[in-house]
Amino acid sequence: MKPFDFVQPTTTDAALAALAEHSPNVRILAGGTDYVVELKHVPASPGVVVDVSRLEDLKGIELTDAGLRIGAGVTHTEIMAHPLIAEHAPAMIDAAHTVGAVQTRNLGTIGGNLVTCVPSMDSGPVLLALDAQVTILGPKGTRQIDLAEFFVGVRKTVLEPDELLLDIIIPAENLGKPAGFIKFGLRKGQALALVNAASAFRIEDGKFKDVRIALGAVAPVVFRANKAEAKLEGQAVSPDLIDKAAKIAVGEAKPIDDFRASKEYRNSLIEVGVRRTLQAALDLANR
Amino acid sequence: MTDVTLTVNGEERTASVPPETTLLKMLREDLNFTGAKLGCDVGDCGACTVLVDGIAVNACLMLAGQAEGKKIETIEGLSTLEEYHPIQKAFEEVAALQCGFCGPGMIMSTKALIDEGEDLTKQEIKDALSGNLCRCTGYTKIIDGVIDAYEEITGKKVPETNPRAA
Repeated sequence: MKPFDFVQPTTTDAALAALAEHSPNVRILAGGTDYVVELKHVPASPGVVVDVSRLEDLKGIELTDAGLRIGAGVTHTEIMAHPLIAEHAPAMIDAAHTVGAVQTRNLGTIGGNLVTCVPSMDSGPVLLALDAQVTILGPKGTRQIDLAEFFVGVRKTVLEPDELLLDIIIPAENLGKPAGFIKFGLRKGQALALVNAASAFRIEDGKFKDVRIALGAVAPVVFRANKAEAKLEGQAVSPDLIDKAAKIAVGEAKPIDDFRASKEYRNSLIEVGVRRTLQAALDLANR
Repeated sequence: MTDVTLTVNGEERTASVPPETTLLKMLREDLNFTGAKLGCDVGDCGACTVLVDGIAVNACLMLAGQAEGKKIETIEGLSTLEEYHPIQKAFEEVAALQCGFCGPGMIMSTKALIDEGEDLTKQEIKDALSGNLCRCTGYTKIIDGVIDAYEEITGKKVPETNPRAA
């Protein structure tokens, strides 16, 4: 690793001050499962590394008037074990369980997973399917945006160098919304996703309502398959329609063709993944 | 330089290290705990697994400064001169390890798992060890060793098949 200065603030204000002071030659370190690896390979020093792993404001999972608040520094292991997640957003547990292996999940944070913004991030699809919002702190104050607007490109988000991701909020109206998640990798553990898919909807009077279908690892950023969603929205629930929506979703993705899997194979996985997650959400809705 | 004070296997230790030092490097090179191994150095192989405040982490992915004030457990803390830890004993009895390079990581992951105190299935054991790679034995005997250690330590039985499957 190239030498850098290390700052370990214990309050959010001190962290923001450190970011402001050293911006743009500053980077944030949370769980480190991605960034420490990057630090070992970067040709130049990042300047200053601000460790946010001791910030209490980034911890905790709780219900608020706005919904379910998950601190950006919450680890994947904590998500898997938390009763509020199990009760209100269980698909997040399935997603967290597919991240790396135990050691990775013990260190890696949900905020870090979003901020790192690799296409294959496992946290993104379920959160998009539940219309998650994120809170960003910065020198100009606090702003809250839709997670969908947070992602800009591969390893690029809207975060400025002097800003910090505080938390993720699943809106109150979406708590308990039936949702399914599936990850396809080459193995169960320690695998990058070939395709990630998540679906969520409600059923009202036998019709699909508020349909969300999100895909990961098949485009530069995690995104919603709007055309597939529109195919279902307001229509009577039927297996045939689910099949059609899954086929439409394939056309909305731009999967890569590489040594892990061909583009054709990934396209097949998208169709299967969307179909299975819609079915999983349907099973929950009918329960 | 960063001054780092932490507890290793119950004893307080301090070292002054450059900020870019990983916990693994500090343990091995500054504190002389060479049980945890440097394998892939990117968090894939688990050979560097140690417990930090009771949970298994890849010591190659944690900066030493992040471990300030934490309780570290390494393989050196398990056995005494007189006796192996039950996990080590179980691994020895089933010949779980061949070259042994993955052993400290496998055993520390196993300790973290058993320490949680949950009832375990074979699938859950496999899941808990999926971050530890072995290139010699092919895992079967390692899993056997974990099952034996779990049954010895807890007095419980691992069900033959996973009731949650199917």
